[in-house]
Amino acid sequence: MTAMSCAEAEDLLGAYALEALPEDEMHRVEEHLRTCAEHRAIAGELRRTTLMLPLTVEDGDPSPDLRTRIVEAVKATPAQPAAPRARGTTVAPRRQISRLSTWAARSSRFAVAAVVALALGIGGLIGYQLGHAGQTQVTYAFLGDATAAPGAEARLVYFKDRKQAVVAATGLPRLTSGQVYEMWLIKDGVPVDKGISSSPTGDIGAPLSGDLSQFQQFAITIEPGEQQLPTTKPILVGNLQAG
Amino acid sequence: MAARLKRGETTAIESLYDRYGRLAYGLAFRILNERGAAEDVVQDAFVSVWRNAAGFDASRGSLRNWLFSIVRNRAIDRLRGSTRIRSEIDLADAEPRAQVPDAWEAVALDLERKQIQEGFGELPDPQRRTLELAYFGGYTHVEIASRMHVPLGTVKSRMRIGLEKMRTFLTARGVMA
Repeated sequence: MTAMSCAEAEDLLGAYALEALPEDEMHRVEEHLRTCAEHRAIAGELRRTTLMLPLTVEDGDPSPDLRTRIVEAVKATPAQPAAPRARGTTVAPRRQISRLSTWAARSSRFAVAAVVALALGIGGLIGYQLGHAGQTQVTYAFLGDATAAPGAEARLVYFKDRKQAVVAATGLPRLTSGQVYEMWLIKDGVPVDKGISSSPTGDIGAPLSGDLSQFQQFAITIEPGEQQLPTTKPILVGNLQAG
Repeated sequence: MAARLKRGETTAIESLYDRYGRLAYGLAFRILNERGAAEDVVQDAFVSVWRNAAGFDASRGSLRNWLFSIVRNRAIDRLRGSTRIRSEIDLADAEPRAQVPDAWEAVALDLERKQIQEGFGELPDPQRRTLELAYFGGYTHVEIASRMHVPLGTVKSRMRIGLEKMRTFLTARGVMA
């Protein structure tokens, strides 16, 4: 196999990203990328773009029993065991991380802030249920996203008997002209609009109506005006544990 | 969801199917144009994700992209009757896509799809057709040049420029970092 020049590889990066090269050329490009950081970066970007192409397709309409067949096949198939956990690695209590693992748990600043806040006794776990006042009131605390809203905090107090909650948030990123804070309760992955605020100070105090036991999460986004569904990522989000 | 898969919770596969099953089937059907074959491919892909979940590394790409890559590759292999060579580019070298929480995935996916469809739709026809033949047809650049009756260099350019235009569009819309 002859080595590929930079000029030759440059010409083939699009086809490489699309896996539209014959086997020998795929291997030659791979070889080149091992030693050419510039082309490796370009190929990576083109490849990531290629991975968007499945989303140009419309949903299909498979047989209703396909889901059942897959579940049965999975149950009959042993999963390969996970690699052993490295020594010294700690496991965060599931209660703290819960379903936020893909976002909040990746942010070390967020995680550290949460732990420190807990140690200081000022609440601060991600969506952690702080406590009960009798059986009718429950309080949750949230921290802002480490990048989008560092320093932001929110408390949500839910009065179960009245099915009413109040939210108080502080330290949110300041809005620019036309923007609003929008609050969401999330049920089975679907955000439900729970009102907006255009507070210029970064602080919100607002009532939330509804039976919170129906929802799994609370979030705040910054939107260009009130939206029916979020158009931006949350600046603050957390779990609502059953209280 | 990836964590649940890694823990071997079968309900995670149900959640994955509920979120991406119809799109996965749409992708397989787009390539194979045959219901039974498309369903077989989707089933194989989900079982493959399940079987190999322990080795999934979220820092190198999303679960969604992994699933769709498996669906696409298996469908292409079935269509072309052979196993094709796959790109081994380490996507960790590229900027990671911004992560969204599970609760936002369904919403984010919908928004993302609209942007991606718009970006793809805005490509000039020859570039879009070239990308389609490569990605959904599994054709090599030489085969595409022959089918489209254009020089090989034209196909290479259309592939590169088409992908770059898509990337520019999606970056401007915040879909890609």
